[in-house]
Amino acid sequence: MYITQGIHGLAYGMVLFLVASGLNIIFGMMGILNLAHASFFMLSAYFSYQVLTTTGNFWVALIVAPVVTAFFGIILERFFIRKVHASGHIGELILTVGISLIILAAVKIFWGTESLPVKVPPLLDGLAYFWGMDYPIYRLFVIGMAVLVLAIMLVLLYKSRLGKIVRAAVADADMVNALGVNVPVVFMFIFGIGTWLAGVAAVVIAPILTVFPGLADQVGMDAFVVVVTGGFGSLLGAFIVSIIFGLLNSYGVQFLSQLAPVLMYAFMAVVLTIRPMGLFGERE
Amino acid sequence: MNRRNQTLLWAAVFALLLFYPKLFGAYYTNLFVTFAVFAAYSVSLNMLLGYTGLLSFGHAMFFGAGGYGTALALKHIPGLPLIPAILIGFFAAMILALVFSPLMVRVTGTAFAMLHLAFGQLMYVLALKLRTLTGGEDGIGRFPIPPLNVPGIGSISMKNPENFFYFGIIILGLSIWLMWFFTKTPLGQVQIGLRDNAKRIDYLGYKVPQTKAVVYVVCGAFAGVAGSIYGLFQNLVSCDGVLGILVSFAPITNTVVGGIGSFFGPIWGTAIFQVIEEITVRYTERVELVQGLILVLVMMFAPTGFVGFINSVRQRRAARSVASASETQLEKG
Repeated sequence: MYITQGIHGLAYGMVLFLVASGLNIIFGMMGILNLAHASFFMLSAYFSYQVLTTTGNFWVALIVAPVVTAFFGIILERFFIRKVHASGHIGELILTVGISLIILAAVKIFWGTESLPVKVPPLLDGLAYFWGMDYPIYRLFVIGMAVLVLAIMLVLLYKSRLGKIVRAAVADADMVNALGVNVPVVFMFIFGIGTWLAGVAAVVIAPILTVFPGLADQVGMDAFVVVVTGGFGSLLGAFIVSIIFGLLNSYGVQFLSQLAPVLMYAFMAVVLTIRPMGLFGERE
Repeated sequence: MNRRNQTLLWAAVFALLLFYPKLFGAYYTNLFVTFAVFAAYSVSLNMLLGYTGLLSFGHAMFFGAGGYGTALALKHIPGLPLIPAILIGFFAAMILALVFSPLMVRVTGTAFAMLHLAFGQLMYVLALKLRTLTGGEDGIGRFPIPPLNVPGIGSISMKNPENFFYFGIIILGLSIWLMWFFTKTPLGQVQIGLRDNAKRIDYLGYKVPQTKAVVYVVCGAFAGVAGSIYGLFQNLVSCDGVLGILVSFAPITNTVVGGIGSFFGPIWGTAIFQVIEEITVRYTERVELVQGLILVLVMMFAPTGFVGFINSVRQRRAARSVASASETQLEKG
C-alpha cells in the first residue's frame, strides 16, 4: 500500500523532474525567465496525441513530438527572446506570458477544450510482479526514463566539450564569444534542448494525465517551484526536490488530504527564507 | 504642458467623472469601477516595480488580504460601518506587509520575485483549503454592505451602483493621489535612488532596509485598499478572484504595457487592456489570443510601453521642429 503510493509519488516526481530539468537549463543556467516552458510541454502532449492517432505508435510519438516542440522553442529563442533578453526578467516575463496565451489559444482552436485520452502502449501496459508486490509497469518506465535523462544531461553538461562551452558561455558570454565560439547559436541550441526535455516529459505523462488545455497550469507551476527550490542551475537539486515533492504529494494526499498542496509551497517558502538561492543553488 | 492647461485638463477629467454614470449608463459605470480598482492596484505595484526596481510575483496577497479582511469583518461583525470595514482591509494588508518586510527587504532581483511567488501561492492554497474560514473555492459572498453614514447628510445606500461608483472613485482616487504624493516626498525620491544605486544611498547615510520596508508596507497597504473596494464592489471575494497567480501577473502586464517607471503608466495600461478586452469579447471568444498578441507586440516593438512610446514620438516631433526651425533660419540667413 505505502510502496504503491510511493511509486505513484516517485512517478509524478520524475515527470516533474523531466519538465523542471528543461526549465532548469533555460531559467536556471541561461537565466531566461521562460513562463511559456509549460506551454511547450502542453503543446508536445498535443503533438504526441496527434502522432498517436495517425500512426498508432507510441515510440514514433516519443521521437517526433519532442523534436517538433524543440523546433518551435528554437524559433521562439531566435526571433523573440533574444531581442528582449537585454531588458531583463520583466521583458522576458511579459513576452513569455504572451507566448503562453497564444499557445493556449492555438491549442483550443486546433484540438478543442475537452480532454483527449492517450493509451498506454501495449508493451508497457499491465503490472509487474516482484518482491511480493504488483507495480504498474508504465510508472516504472516513467521513473526509468527520468533517470536516463538525468544521466544523459549530466554527461552532456559536465563531461562533454559542448557542456564546457555552455557552462563557460553562461558564466561569461562575451569572453567565450571572443574565443571564437558562436555563443548565440550555442544558446539557441541549449534552449532547444530545454524545450525538447519538456516535450519528452509531455509524451511520457500524456497517458497518465490525459491531454487537456489546463495541463500547462497544472504541471507548469509545480515545475517552476521545483527549479526555484532546488536551486538555479543545479540539476541534482531539481532531481532531489522533484522526488521530495512527488512523495509529499502522494503521501500528503493520503494522510492530510486537505493540506497536501500547502506542504509544497510551505516547503518552498521555508527553503527560500533560509537560502534565497535555493537548496543547491550557487548564486541568486 | 503649462500650468493653466494642466488645471483645465484636470477640471475636464473631474467634470467627466461627475457626469459619467448619467452619460454612459449602469454597465459602463460598473466597468469603470473595475478599471479604477485595477488602476490603483497596478499603481501600487509600480511603486515597487518601477520606482524601487523590485519585481514581485505575489502582489495579489496584499490585494487578497484587503479583500478577505473587509469581507470577513463585514460577515462576522454585525453593524460594522463602511469606512472602518475598508480600514480593516487596509490594515490587514499593511500588517501582512509589515510581517513580511524583515524577510523581503534583504533580498533583491530574482530571489525577491521567487519569495513572493512562494508566499503568494502559499496564501492562495491556504485560502483554498481552509474552507471553514474562507469558504474555499466558493469564497465569501453575500456579506452585508453597510451604507455610508455622513454626518449632516444622512446615510447613503451603497447597493445603488451609481452611489458606489462615486464612493469607489473617491476612495481609489484618494489612494492614487496619496501614492503620487508619496513619490514626491524626500522618502519617495530616496526610493528611486534605491533602484538606481542602493550602495550609494547607503553611503549617503540612509538606512536601506528600513527605507525599503516603509515603501513595501505603503505599497502593500494601498493594494489592500484596492482589494477591499473590489470585494465590496463584487460583494464576493474568492481565491481565484483576489489571490490567484493571474491576479499577481495582471498589474505587472498593465504596468509594462502602460509604461514602467512612469506614475501614470499603469493607469494607461489598465485602461488599454480593459478597452481591448471589451472590444474583443464582442467579436471573438479568443480573448487570450488577442491579449497574448498584444503582450508579444508590445515587447517586440514598444518595450517602454504606452507612455514611453508617446514620449519618444513627442521627442522625435520636437527634434524635427527644431531641425526645421534651424533650416528656415539657414535659408533666411
